[in-house]
Amino acid sequence: MNPQSAFRNPKSKEERSMSNEIWVFAEQQDGKVRKVAFELLSACAEFSKKTGQEVAAILLGSGLQEAVKSLTPFADKIYCVEDPTLASYTSDTYLTNMAPVVRECQPSMLLGGATSTGKDLFPRLAMHLQSGYAPDCTGLTIGENGCLVAKRPLFGGKIFAEVAFSEANPQMATVRNNTFLVNSSLSKAAKIVSFAAKTDPSPKKKIIGLEKASGARLDITEADIVVAAGRGIKGPQHFKLMEDLAEVLSASVGTTRAVVDEGWRDVKDQIGKSGKNISAKLYMAFGISGAIHHVLGIGTCKTVVAVDTDPNALIFNYADYAIVGDLFQIVPALTEELKRVLAADK
Amino acid sequence: MAFDIHYDTKWEGDAVEIYVLVKQVPDPEAIVKVKSDTELDIENKYFTSFFDEIGIEAGLQLKAKFGGKVTVLTVDNRRVDALRRGISMGADEAIQIADPALGGSDPFTTARLIASYLKDKPLDLILAGRQAMDDDAGIVGPAVAELLGLPHVNAVVELNIEDPKKEAKVTREVEGGKEVLSCALPALFTCQKGLNIPRIPQVMNVMKAMKAQIKKIDLAALGLSAGEVGPSSAKVKIQKYLPPPKRPPVKVIKEDFPDNVKTLVKLLKEEAKVI
Repeated sequence: MNPQSAFRNPKSKEERSMSNEIWVFAEQQDGKVRKVAFELLSACAEFSKKTGQEVAAILLGSGLQEAVKSLTPFADKIYCVEDPTLASYTSDTYLTNMAPVVRECQPSMLLGGATSTGKDLFPRLAMHLQSGYAPDCTGLTIGENGCLVAKRPLFGGKIFAEVAFSEANPQMATVRNNTFLVNSSLSKAAKIVSFAAKTDPSPKKKIIGLEKASGARLDITEADIVVAAGRGIKGPQHFKLMEDLAEVLSASVGTTRAVVDEGWRDVKDQIGKSGKNISAKLYMAFGISGAIHHVLGIGTCKTVVAVDTDPNALIFNYADYAIVGDLFQIVPALTEELKRVLAADK
Repeated sequence: MAFDIHYDTKWEGDAVEIYVLVKQVPDPEAIVKVKSDTELDIENKYFTSFFDEIGIEAGLQLKAKFGGKVTVLTVDNRRVDALRRGISMGADEAIQIADPALGGSDPFTTARLIASYLKDKPLDLILAGRQAMDDDAGIVGPAVAELLGLPHVNAVVELNIEDPKKEAKVTREVEGGKEVLSCALPALFTCQKGLNIPRIPQVMNVMKAMKAQIKKIDLAALGLSAGEVGPSSAKVKIQKYLPPPKRPPVKVIKEDFPDNVKTLVKLLKEEAKVI
C-alpha cells in the first residue's frame, strides 16, 4: 500500500465521507469564553460557506449561562457539559467529558486556542481519539474537497509547514490568538445540546490554588498590544515607564530572555524561543537588540515598532516602523502623545 | 558536583525510578532553510533541547532527595548526544529507541514507542520538556501519559514532592497567573523555563559520558511491527515547507525628537490602523 494513500489530498476533488459539523472548543474561564474561541468560530463560519457544514461550539464548565449567551450568535449548535467538577480545567475531567461527545457526534474538525489549556488538552485528546493534531497554528485553510490544511511554525518560526491530516476524524488543531478576526456581524441562533457530565469519584489531580498575577493585564499571548523592553532599560525599576505606556494602550508588558535571566522580570513575560510566541496586532520593542531568540517569538505580530539607540540593531530588520533613539526619552513622550491622541478620539 | 553528594534525607521508602524524555535538536542559532517542498537544509549545529535539560535537572534533584535512578530516553536513529548530555549531568542510564523503519514517524508514533518501552517498567515519574525546540509540537509528553493511563501536567514551573510514592505538588503557568495542583504519582510532567537552572556538567563527566553505554532498543524488542510506525502510521503529514513570511521593508522615522514620536503615533493610527 502506498503509505501516503491514507492522507487527504486537499487538491483532489474525490469525494470523501464527511461529517456535517465543524467544532470549536469554547474554552472558558470563570464562565467567560476566551476571545480566541470567537475568532475560531468566525473562521469556521467562513469555512462552512465552502463545506456546507454546520458550526458548533463545545463548552464545558459550571455556571455557563453567560458563556452560552455570548456563543449563541456564533454557532449553529452548542454542545454543553455542565457540572461543578468542570468549573476549572484539568486534563482528566475535560478528557473524560469531551471524548465521548466527540466520538458520538463525529465532527470532521475540532479547533481550539493555542492557550495553556488548549496545549495541555489537545495532544492528549488527539492520542485518545487516534486523531491527527497540528499544534500552535498560525493559519488554517480548507482544501478543495473540504479538508483542513494547517499552517504552523517550526524551529521557533524559522520555517513554516503546511500540515495535512490523515483520514481519522476529527482533524484537530490549536491556533494562536489573533490569527483570525472576530466577525461580530454573525447572527446565528445556536441550538443547545446538553450532555450529562461524567464524574470521577477519585480524581488523580486536584487544583489546590490559583495565584493570580498582579495587575489586571492580559497574558502577553492574549493581548492585542504588547510593549516590551530589553536590557536597554537598565534595571527593573525603570519598567514603570513600560507599565505607564501599557496603561494608555491597554497593552501587556513583555520582555527578553536577557532581562528574565537578570531576574528583573518574571519568565511569564518572556517573548522568544525559550519564552512565548506572541501574535499581537501591535508589538513595540524598546531597547531590544533583536537576538534571534527574541525575534522568533514575534514573527506573527501584525505591526512591529522598534526603538533602539543602536542604528545597526538587528531588531530593525524585523520592524515595520523604527526610531533610532533613547527609550528613556521616547517612551515618556510616546505615552503622553498617545494619551492626547486617544483622548481626542473619545 | 551536586549530584555526587548524598543528601541527608528522611526518605526511607523504595528507591525512586525517574525517566526523562530527551531530544537532540538544532541549536536556536542554527540556520534552517527550505531545500524543497518536503526537505529542509539544517546547519549541523545541535544541542539538547533546552526544556529537556530542565527535565533532566529536575530528575537529578529528586534523585538527590530520595535516592533511586534517573534514566534518559530518546527516540532517534542518529543522534544520541542528548543521552550523553544526560549522563554527563548525572543520569544513571540511557536508552535509545531506534530502528530503520522509524523514518517519517509522527509524534504520536514516537509516543507509542516510548509507551511500549515504559509500559511494564516500574516508575514513579516521567519528565519531559514543554516542547522540543525543533517541531515545537508538545505532543509526545501528554500522548505518552495518555497511553500509559497516567495523569500529566504541562509546563510545570514548580515541583515539590514529599512522598514520591504518593503525590506531587506542581505549579503550572496559565493565562493571567499560576495554578497549583496536587497530582497523584506516578505521573508525567513537562518542564517549563523557571523550574530550575540546569547544571553544566564538568569536563571529566562529559568525557566519561562519551564512553557510557547506551542501551539500544529496536522495534522487535518493543513488540511492534514496521507497519505500525513510519509514514503509514502518521496522523499528520507535512506536505510543504515554506520560508517565514517576509515583512515589508522597515520605515525609519528620521525626524528629530519629539516630532518622530508624533509621526509614529500618526502612522500607527492612520497607516497601520492598530490604535
